[in-house]
Formats: sequence, structure tokens, C-alpha cells
Amino acid sequence: MKKFWSRFLGNPRVYLGLIWLGLLLLVAISANVLAPTDPFAIVGKPMAPPGGEFWLGTDSLGRNVLAGLIHGSRATILIAVLATLFAVAFGTLIGAIAGYYGGLIDNVLMRFTEFFQTIPSFLFAIVLIAILSPSALNLVVAIATVSWPPIARVVRGEVLTVKSREFVQAAVVAGQGDAAILLKQVLPNTLSPLIVTGSLLIATAILVESALSFLGLGAPNLMSWGFMIGAGRSFMREAWWLVTVPGIAILLTVLAINLVGEGLNDALNPRLADL
Amino acid sequence: MNRRIVLALALATTALSSLPAMAQKSGGTLVQITQPEPPNLAPYISTSAPIGQVTAKVFDGLLEYGFDLKPKPSLAESFEVAPDGKAITFKLRKDVKFHDGKPFTSADVQFTIMEVLKKNHPRGIATFRDVTAVETPDAHTAILRLAIPAPYILKALSSYESPMLPKHVYGQGDIKTHANANTPIGSGPFKFGEWRRGEFVRLDKNPSYWRAGLPYLDRIVVRFIADASTRTAVLEKGEAHVAGLGAVPYNDAKKLALRPNIEVSTKGTEMISPIVELLFNTKQAPFDNPKVRQAISYAVDRKFVIENVWFGFGKPAMGIISSNFQPSGLFAPGIDFTVADRIERANKLLDEAGFPRKADGTRFEFTHDITPYGEEWQRFGETVQQNLAQIGVKATLRYEDLPKWLKRTYTDYDFAITSNFLFNLADPVLGVHRGVHSDRIRPGTVFVNGSRWSSPETDALMDKAAVETNDATRGKLYAEFVQRVSEASPVAYILEVQFPTVINKQFKNVIDTPLGIYGNFATVHRQ
Repeated sequence: MKKFWSRFLGNPRVYLGLIWLGLLLLVAISANVLAPTDPFAIVGKPMAPPGGEFWLGTDSLGRNVLAGLIHGSRATILIAVLATLFAVAFGTLIGAIAGYYGGLIDNVLMRFTEFFQTIPSFLFAIVLIAILSPSALNLVVAIATVSWPPIARVVRGEVLTVKSREFVQAAVVAGQGDAAILLKQVLPNTLSPLIVTGSLLIATAILVESALSFLGLGAPNLMSWGFMIGAGRSFMREAWWLVTVPGIAILLTVLAINLVGEGLNDALNPRLADL
Repeated sequence: MNRRIVLALALATTALSSLPAMAQKSGGTLVQITQPEPPNLAPYISTSAPIGQVTAKVFDGLLEYGFDLKPKPSLAESFEVAPDGKAITFKLRKDVKFHDGKPFTSADVQFTIMEVLKKNHPRGIATFRDVTAVETPDAHTAILRLAIPAPYILKALSSYESPMLPKHVYGQGDIKTHANANTPIGSGPFKFGEWRRGEFVRLDKNPSYWRAGLPYLDRIVVRFIADASTRTAVLEKGEAHVAGLGAVPYNDAKKLALRPNIEVSTKGTEMISPIVELLFNTKQAPFDNPKVRQAISYAVDRKFVIENVWFGFGKPAMGIISSNFQPSGLFAPGIDFTVADRIERANKLLDEAGFPRKADGTRFEFTHDITPYGEEWQRFGETVQQNLAQIGVKATLRYEDLPKWLKRTYTDYDFAITSNFLFNLADPVLGVHRGVHSDRIRPGTVFVNGSRWSSPETDALMDKAAVETNDATRGKLYAEFVQRVSEASPVAYILEVQFPTVINKQFKNVIDTPLGIYGNFATVHRQ
């Protein structure tokens, strides 16, 4: 474990990622202190450029872009993390059962997974939101629904290799039940690829959420970065800051998550890192 | 001698104006942008917005209209309403030929109205409801027989609303799946040329058009460009010359107006008269109370909405009837909800209605449904949400797709307030009555009385105005009607949208009817 930390933190790119994510987390937690007014409140002259009374300007209705950015970090992170957690939980369940039991169960579960995989995930998310109607909870459901299949496949693959190891066979001989073997012996050993895939999934979830909000399918009462870009895209030529500011925020966040994710990957799979 | 010259000049001017062909330059191709691409070119069975922008140039109507909404001759040289209002006699032109060379006669009028529009046209079903027969005493006379007087029919005979079809073509086979649905044949100034799907429709000059010397243009090309910013760029560069009705976003139209080669006109919606409104569910607390409804109406900042959501393309609505009916004397203003002390008034009304502010400053909460027509509607919802917060009313926004929203609003009535977009059309009977009349409370029928408010008094006023043939008397009836509706405020009328039409200055006379881009473009010419 010591080796892991030294490998993980010895990577300068991981530092950059962690700093940005830490800052973001801080902003998200203290959003109500940093920007006490409702981010939807009309506070000034519409389309005021950055640098005036409002540091990052105002949008087409005179809403403070900085307040939107601060509150948007909260919505964006919350939705992405929750969706990822659901996706990881469900994907792990399906993958573990399929990999551990094999045979018919494996076949059925994997065909089920493939069914979800064959639908282009973003289009699927659009359809789900159209059916469920846009809201924060439904965004989480939609993003989780389109994100779990890769997790299931990764976990199944890992479970397949781990379950043939001697210590698992020993546990079987020792008379442990299936649930105990899965939870105590098999799953802990599949954790490293899961952490890496899961962390990268957060980045994808942010992008999907932003893209949905951009199309006007985001939660209508929730200020998110994608919403800001969607509302600002018609004014790209006269008010560049409306899309640029939240766009850069999304870019940096996704980049930071990828850096940390790769760092995790390098640290957890040192053999791969050396290649 | 002076007098003689003046007379001669006057004669000369009359002569010139009656021969416009000589004064204007013929030729040229006008490129119009229509968005989206029409599903078909069958305006007699569908009122889908893009269809008419193409077909109004191919077909003729019995009448045309001036900006005052008064009828002008077209296929009908003249018309006469019987003293009891139960018959309208049209004298038809004798020199009109369809694009296939066959003459236009009263049989075509009878076929179009009785067999096609009355049975199949979404609005024609209502417009021609009381037409019992179309008599054709000779080839150039058509008499509409009516069960009760229906003066509004005279407002609905344009080439856009009621295109006259050749019976020998559209009378063959099933009208709903007709072979010519995508290759229309009419008598209008332009003949259908070609439709390349996803790209354009080409309309060619009709050389044997019955108006001598017209049209001036050789060709109209209607282009379909899916991306909004490309449409704007193409107009900016002069590669396309005309676009309207949603083809150009409002903020882009505002920008294009600043270009020296472009003119942005807000005329040409006088027969459409769209009104943005907030529809209340008047059968449900708290909006069953007229004081609450008035308070909401006061609270909405109409000027802000017009400036920042519709980018200046509108004016505050003064009541249920659009100010576009002013020239015909049918307009009257209701309560002025734009007064300076509107917030105080709204607060006072809510206090009186029994909704005092609670400890947290709010009075009550509700869910505001947003019309799923695009982003300006979302911005409108967000603005209203902020406006209402000022008077302690908390709105939560809900945005669903069109079928769900329509069902919620007009079938299940499962809403508190929804934004809405209703057109006054060419006459209050066609566009206004449906919003508040008790016989238009019809679950499942869309764009009728969704607030479910009505009163015997307003019903009676509308019923009288519908059969009244004298405009002055109708005006008086409507003035009282508007006042009563305004007091009850089952709907908050927010703004009259003035759709911008973007026009390249090379072309003149583009918007010369109250139907705007739905006009026939016969007199459009290059400078």
C-alpha cells in the first residue's frame, strides 16, 4: 500500500488534477457562502461583459455568470458522482454475478448488458430524459442507465480471472458461502480496475450531463455548467463569455479527473505503467 | 393650362400605376429560407407552418387582404353579402387558368370549399362549419349558402388559408393521399418546378398568370438549412434574401437589422397575431381566485421579457384581442397590467385574496409548465419565476416534450400555470373565441379553452359578435368582452409577438400583405 501512495503522489500530473478537484470541491461545498443569491436571480444589466460590476459578466437575462459557475459546480459534481455511484453499484452487481456463476446466468446477464451497449449511449440518454421528463433525479437515472455496461464487463472479466485462483478454491473448500466468497475474496481483488474505470466514468458523466443540459434537456431548476452553455450558445458572437467560462470549467474538471484516473491506473497497475 | 397639366399628370400616374409591369424591373431569382423543410406541399389538409410559405405562391385564394384586413379582389372580382348574412355571392374572374392550362371555374370553388377545406383543413373545418352549400349558377358565379351569418369567412379566403384547387386534378383519388400532394398545381403567380429533398423547392414564373405583367421574378428558390447560424450567415452574405417565422433567431434578426444590405420587417403578422400568454388552471386553488390571477398578471415584467427574451420583437399585450385588429375597429384594451406601481398592486391583491407572506417571505408555491417550443420559452419561464419571487410566489419550472405538455394542458388539465402561444388569426371568431368560450372546453382538443373559465355574459357577447356583420357594432361587443375577460383574467396576456422577417434590400415589396411571408410574392421585384 505504501508503494501505491508513493507511486500515486509521485506523479506531478496527479498533483495538478488533485489541486483543481480539491478547489472545485471547496467551491461546491461553500457555494451558498461564496454566492449567497439564487444563481437564477436577475441581478444586473443583461449581457454585461466580464470585468465590470460582475467579474465574469452577466447572461442574456442579467444573471451573474460567476454565481452560476459556483452553483453550477455543485449541481454538475453532484449529478456526476451520484450517477457514477449508481452505475458502479449496478454494474458491479451484474458483472460479479455473471462472472462468478458463469454458464446460463452469465449468458443471460451478458446478453442483457450487450443490449444496453448496442444503443448509442448519448442518444439513449436523450430518449430516457424525453420519456422521464427533465429533472435532477432523472438525469442521474439516465446517466447511470447508459454508463453501467462497461463496469459490468470489467468486473466480470476480473471475477473470471480471480475466481480460478487458489485462495478462492481454498475458500470454497473451507465451506464459505457464495456471497461471502464474492464479497470477501473475489471483489476486493477486482477493486483496482474498478476504481480506475469508475473515476474516468465521472468525467464521462459530467460530459453527458453537460451535453443534455446544452440540448435543453437538463433539470430546469438547476444551474449547471451545461445549462449555462446551452443558454449562452445563441449569443456566442456577441457574448463570448457565456459559453467560454463554463466551457473552460468543464474542460479543466474533465481533464483533472482524467489525470487523477490515469495516475490511479499507473499506481495500481505498476506493470502497465512500466510498459 | 395648369389645370390641364395636373389632370394629364394625374391620368398619367393612374395609367402608370395600373401598369406596374412597365415601371418595375422584371427577372431575378429570390432565395427564401424556410425552416423546417415542409412535410408536404398540401396546404389544403395541413396547416404546418412551413407548407404555406411555399404553396401560397402556387395557389390563389378568392380574396387578398390589405394591412387593415379589408378584403381585396383576387380570383373573385367582387363579392356581395346577402342582407340577412346567410349568403355570399362571389363573381369570379373569367381569364384565370391553372398551371396545366385548364380554366378556373365556380366548380373548382365548390369542390375546394365543400369537398376539401370543410372536410379536411384543420382550421377550415371550423371556418366553413356553417356553409351548407356552394351553388354555381354559372361558371363564374359561386354562392356560399350559410346556416347562420358567418362574416369571418371573408377573412379566411387568402391563398394561404383557403387555396383554390383545380377540381380536375385534386378531385381524382383520395385527397388525403393525393398524387399531387408534393407537386402542387394551382393558378398562382409561380408554378411548382422541383423539390430536391433536404435542399430546396424551386418555383418558376407562371408566364400566363392572370395579372398581366406579373410576377416580376423569374424564380423563387426556397432553401432548407437545418443549422440556425448557417441560415443567419447565408442571409448576411446575401446568398439568401428572405427568411421569417422562426427561420432566424430573434437575437440574430436584431443583429442582421444593423447590416446595410438588410432590412428587418415586423409587418406581415397582422393576420396571424400571435400572443404569448400564461394560462391559469381556474378550477384549482389558488388560481381559481381572479385576484390571484390578476396579481400574477401584474407581476410579470412585460417590458423586460420583450427586450431580453424576444429581443424587441413584440409589444405588451393589452388584452385578449390583439392590437392588430385596431384598423378594423375590433380591438379594445383591457386592464393595463404594465402600470408603474404594478408590484404594489400585485402584493395588495394577494393580501386581499388571503395569501399573506409567511415567515420566509413566500405566500404559496406552484409548478410552472413551460411551452416546449424552444429556448426563448425557457428564458421566459425563468424570467417569470424571478418576477413572481418579487411578490412572494415561488414557481418551480417543468419542461416536458410537446405531446406530454399538450396532454397535461388540454386533456388532463393537470397544471397550475402554463405558458402558451395562441394565435388570434384573421378574425377574433377564428382565433380568440376558442380560448374562453364555454363550448370550447373540450378535453382532448388542443389550443382551445384550457383555463376552463367561461361566463354566460362573455359567451353571449361572443355569440353575438360572431354573427354580427357590422364592424362598428362588433367592435362595441368586443370592447365589453375584452373588459370582462380582463377582469376575470383566466389568462395573463403578456405580449404580442411581431415575427421578424429578414429581407435583403435588393428586393422590394416582399411584405405587402398582412400574411407576410405567406403572401404570393407576385409583386416582389429587384431594385
